[in-house]
Amino acid sequence: MLRKFTFLKRRLLKLFVTVGGVASLLVTLASCGTSTASASSSGGTTTVGFIMVGSRSDYGYNQAVYVASQTVAKEMNNIKVITADNIPENSSVTQTMQAMVNQGAKIIFATSYGYFPYALKFAKSHPTVTVLHQGGYLTGKFPANFGTYWGEAFEPVSLGGMAAGSVTKTNKLGFVYAFPIPQTIDNIDAFELGAQSVNPKAKTYVVNTSNWCDPLKQKEAAAALLAQGADVLSQHQDCQAAVIEAAKQAHAYVVGYHYDASSLDPSGWLTGSVWNWAPLYKSIISTILSGHFKGSKYNANFVGSFAAHNNPLVLAPFGKAVSPAMRSKILAEEAKLKAGASIFKGPIYCQNGQLLVPPGVTPTYAQINNFSCFVKGVVGTIPQG
Amino acid sequence: MNGIEQTLIGGIAGGTAIVIPSLGELTSELAGIVNLGTEGCMLAGALGAYAVTVATGSAEIGVAGGAIAGAVFGLLHAYLTIYRKADQLTSGLVVWFLALGVTGVLGTSYVNDVITPLPVISIGGLSKVPWLGPILFHQDLLVYVGYVLVPLIIFILHRTRIGLLLRSTGERPEVVSVAGNRPNLIQATAVTIGALLAGVGGAQLSVGYVGTWFDDMTSGYGFVAVAVVLFASWKPLRVMVGAYIFGVALSAESVLQTNGIAINQYLLDALPYLVTLIALVIVSRKGGRKAPEALNRALIDVT
Amino acid sequence: MGKVSLKLGNSQKPLEVVSNTGATATLASSIKVAFKRHKLAYLSVGSYVASMAVFGLIVFVKGANPLSVFSVVVQSTFFNGGSVEQIILRAVPISLAALAVAVPARAGLVNVGGEGQLIMGAIGATGVGLTVGASAPSPLSWALMGVAGGLAGAIWAGIPALMRTATGASEAVTTLLMNFVANDIMLYLIYQPWRDRYSSGQPQSQPLSHSAQLSSLFGSQLNIGVVFAVALAVATWWLLKKSHWGFALKVVGGNQEAAKRAGLPINRLLISSMLVGGALAGLGGMLNLAGVEVQLRPGITATFGYIAFLASWLGRHEPYKVVIAAFLFSAIALSSNGIQLNFGLNGSIVDILLALIVIAPLFLSKNRKAMTK
Repeated sequence: MLRKFTFLKRRLLKLFVTVGGVASLLVTLASCGTSTASASSSGGTTTVGFIMVGSRSDYGYNQAVYVASQTVAKEMNNIKVITADNIPENSSVTQTMQAMVNQGAKIIFATSYGYFPYALKFAKSHPTVTVLHQGGYLTGKFPANFGTYWGEAFEPVSLGGMAAGSVTKTNKLGFVYAFPIPQTIDNIDAFELGAQSVNPKAKTYVVNTSNWCDPLKQKEAAAALLAQGADVLSQHQDCQAAVIEAAKQAHAYVVGYHYDASSLDPSGWLTGSVWNWAPLYKSIISTILSGHFKGSKYNANFVGSFAAHNNPLVLAPFGKAVSPAMRSKILAEEAKLKAGASIFKGPIYCQNGQLLVPPGVTPTYAQINNFSCFVKGVVGTIPQG
Repeated sequence: MNGIEQTLIGGIAGGTAIVIPSLGELTSELAGIVNLGTEGCMLAGALGAYAVTVATGSAEIGVAGGAIAGAVFGLLHAYLTIYRKADQLTSGLVVWFLALGVTGVLGTSYVNDVITPLPVISIGGLSKVPWLGPILFHQDLLVYVGYVLVPLIIFILHRTRIGLLLRSTGERPEVVSVAGNRPNLIQATAVTIGALLAGVGGAQLSVGYVGTWFDDMTSGYGFVAVAVVLFASWKPLRVMVGAYIFGVALSAESVLQTNGIAINQYLLDALPYLVTLIALVIVSRKGGRKAPEALNRALIDVT
Repeated sequence: MGKVSLKLGNSQKPLEVVSNTGATATLASSIKVAFKRHKLAYLSVGSYVASMAVFGLIVFVKGANPLSVFSVVVQSTFFNGGSVEQIILRAVPISLAALAVAVPARAGLVNVGGEGQLIMGAIGATGVGLTVGASAPSPLSWALMGVAGGLAGAIWAGIPALMRTATGASEAVTTLLMNFVANDIMLYLIYQPWRDRYSSGQPQSQPLSHSAQLSSLFGSQLNIGVVFAVALAVATWWLLKKSHWGFALKVVGGNQEAAKRAGLPINRLLISSMLVGGALAGLGGMLNLAGVEVQLRPGITATFGYIAFLASWLGRHEPYKVVIAAFLFSAIALSSNGIQLNFGLNGSIVDILLALIVIAPLFLSKNRKAMTK
């Protein structure tokens, strides 16, 4: 009996020690971390979160976002910036947005195209948080705390096409892209039209990889394009190192996208289009802080353009392979676009000869975003739904 | 250059990243240990090779770094499965997750680094052979390593004492033990060498074929390597052929697209796995060349 | 322990047999005995501490304070309502897929196919949901989607089971291969026949109509699928622990020869265990789709199936332990956000934590039958 009791006592003691130990461990752990976890909501600072789909050092789309987010942190007062990268386009992004709100975030930039449905849903369930989606997804009504934004990316891309068309010897340009979404179709069309404007014989060969960043597939696509005879490569996915590396090995030229990666291949780099998001981010954040977001141009589908002098996508520096004469020609064309000209002014024909834009007509952004064919001169098909 | 040639050039270069790891997995499985962590060992190898290349400026030294990185993860698998008697599949998956995490954390700073990848080497007269020359003999160093490894491994496994010991260990470890040898050591060596080769396969992706490092860049090649060994029912020559066929199938899509053929790649992608499944059924049914006995025990006799 | 004999499953002897004899000796030796008796417990605590230390070291090397990282892991998950809800949501597919490993494991089968069975469940649910979702009342479409998801998962696990019983092909290998086939089937569907025409080129299926989506619980981020998942887990526990079928599975898993002599229908039991397991995983895929994702997309399962496999092993295939392990892994996966936001470390660092937690008991596995072959 006694033995049994001692045994019980020992068991109880052990239980207490264990529970107490674990509890005190948790408390200690929790207390040493409080300073980091909940400092954000203090004082007059506003926490802004940026979510990226790929690596923040991808020499591409996500690095452009990250660099701009750091500019915001540096140049705006009372703003705390938190970032998360490598967040996939599924419900993970909801969890990341929730984690950011837990950290006190009041403004969240969800910067990948495929985040759209999650960002919209999150905005609806968190009315005190303003959610911005980067990708210019056309849609109907917006909640008062939600907006989407983009730029007329095809404008600087067409200028890159001019550079490509001017240097090609084989008249074959290669273009590796991720998904046949409207902005990408527009970019490919603009690239080809830009190239045609200086070299009517230039053709653009396209391959899609179905992934925002899969270096292995990009390498395969680039290799296939180079073997086909392409001597200039351009691309539209988030990371561009693999395509540039492939071009470098084959001594081909490169037109970049998203981020100035000329350092990867200084001799092959022609030019490119690079995101300069910081001014737009700052403008959006200021609008929210001033309390005028609701009903503003950012509480909708905002699209910056050359003509409005607010295109977040700008022309990258020229590489040495672009002749001085061609540089001035490209810059002159840029000036024309800024004055209201359009690369998509009719007549423009689809691959199959169908008229896409009637002669003399300049399509609106909404119409351009509805293009569902590659223009004449593009080789390759759009995967059909 | 026509489409078939392009497909084959890419298939051989990318397929090398399957051939070398699958020869490694073959070695490991013949000794009785399956390594699902091959994918993880490849990842470690890819990053290890890239990091060493960044540090030394030489992709050749980088390959050695990749081999060591792969082997380190192989050692862990060997320790857990052989000396701790852990479940082989569980341990393999653990190695994979560990490698995913370690390469993700340590690799962040390398995404932005630039290297000079392994150069393409033309083998004198052979590369001039019409059609086949540019496909087979105008490739990087590791592709040739792949060519050499197949006969080398066939020779070691089937013509040397070491090979005999290794295969006996895979069939009947207890007999090997009675004969005065140490089956544990033999198995551990086989697993580590297998992982080392997986690391070299990873290096072929990061410092050979693609020339960049990215998170999770092996994207399933390690699992394909495991499937190839099963498909080949543990015969080296078949492993090689299977691996190149898988490699070609995986690189066919881009080439078809540049030639104006749009296909839905994904049913094609599933084919290698379906073929492997069917092969497994036939092999098991016929009662012909079956899995090494110890491996069979590991995979089937769970009780 | 013989070096080799360990390969033969039944030859293991418990280590502690000897230690009981010294119980009446001196104080020193009785302490020794006490230590030996609880050796396993001390070792297991020790191995967890050691693996946490390894994790801390990696964190330290990357320039963060390990203690603050641990505190963020705890705080950002269990001490926040919104996060707890997200943990529960993620634990639904992981725990059901983990039970899909645990059920066949009882009969001695290895199901590595949770990933594929989750995917097939999601595919089945999407197919039915898009067909009937808009017209049928919610409960009916949930039921139909559940049936379709469970059936698809069961078929996907049943094929390897048939291959095993008919030809002896290892189900560990075949279930693994089936994962890749399932993923390719899903990609095929969303890149073409099922692609949402209004998704502007993104490869994804149309979203389920509102009435087919699982409705939210009390206005929280949780949905009614959580309730279904709990019911399924309890049912699984009952099946394994209380039903005749569960007992028969255990006999088959323990000793097939004896089971045969006792007249049990071995093949039927093996196949049914895989069918039940596959159905559980399929339902997990269905609940995740109808409650959280709402449409098929690439990467929808996010390696849940493999994490579930590890969870089942960590819980030694005991239903309630398996579910606890699934929750633990779900929380770990979620803590990646907190770690990234506070320390700028790559979110994949939580994969290391997950692996270390599984490794810790593996280091002791010599004495644990559940961990060995």
